[in-house]
Amino acid sequence: MTYTFTSHNKQTTRELGVFLAKFLVPGDVLTLTGDLGAGKTTLTQGLAHGLKITDRVISPTFNIMKCYFKAEKPLFHIDAYRLEDANKDIGLEEFIGTEGIAVIEWPMYIKEFLPQEVLKINLVHAGGDERIITISGDNAHYDEIVGQVRGAF
Amino acid sequence: MITLLLDSSNKNLSVALARDNQVFAKKDYEAWQQQSEWMIPEIDGLLKAANLTTKEIANIVVAIGPGSYTGVRIAVTIAKIMAFLIEAKLYKVSSLAVLADHNLPTICLANARSNRSYFAVYQGVEAIVEDTIISNDEVMAYIEAHQNYAVAGEASYLGLTSIQSNRFDAMLRFIDEKHEVKDLLALKPIYLKD
Repeated sequence: MTYTFTSHNKQTTRELGVFLAKFLVPGDVLTLTGDLGAGKTTLTQGLAHGLKITDRVISPTFNIMKCYFKAEKPLFHIDAYRLEDANKDIGLEEFIGTEGIAVIEWPMYIKEFLPQEVLKINLVHAGGDERIITISGDNAHYDEIVGQVRGAF
Repeated sequence: MITLLLDSSNKNLSVALARDNQVFAKKDYEAWQQQSEWMIPEIDGLLKAANLTTKEIANIVVAIGPGSYTGVRIAVTIAKIMAFLIEAKLYKVSSLAVLADHNLPTICLANARSNRSYFAVYQGVEAIVEDTIISNDEVMAYIEAHQNYAVAGEASYLGLTSIQSNRFDAMLRFIDEKHEVKDLLALKPIYLKD
């Protein structure tokens, strides 16, 4: 199932993240795509807030992954940007689809570590603070989440 | 003569102190991906509780993998630095070998993810099958063909029950010439996937 809506401000993008915290469970994989500044980190910050994480959440562009264990459900935030053309064999499979919720920015660079079924969110600039957000899932669990988002946003 | 035993190669954080080959203080609990935070405080805590200092450690035994990408690096790094600074002797053991029963041939397993397992067969310190990485199907076929062997390690990912291993007693059995690390700085963890 796929659902597309327009977020008119940063706060709405963040609230989508907060909302997703209610439905995502350990083992889930959420991929985030979109240009720089599209709101991937904002959405992840909302998700972290929803998971009762109090640590500061920033995109782990340089350290590739940051794990938040002090949370309602553990969150593994991965930014694969620097893994393009790099040695990717750094143990990411121990995190993706395992004991926490994996959020992956720039997922195209680590395709070999992604499960077949993921929840996808794509964010596109639409002028000013507006973003066109598309969420899609390809199994029953992710469909349920897309349905919940459609009901609320 | 104090021996320090360290293993962080899979889900557990395992730290123990032994005197004359008898373990007298230990910490062994699941601390997946958090071993780096806790290993040094646990070593410190055990030493303090026993009124010892690092200078009294004569031997260090470290499990070097195969196992978790980060996990195999933590204990090895700490063991190398400590051995270097306090001039202790360092011994390396396979993370699979420390799971083996002393008397029974034991199939030693760890989850390598993506439907693969780290696999070896040991009886005491002797390898019957050396450490390797194979598919879970191959593991199940091997077990089927060797039903008199024990199974050790956290094997629930294969739906198997396993024997309770005493990893610290097993590690102490590897203190010998063959397992001594002569060139400290050259010691590397074993990952098997790279």
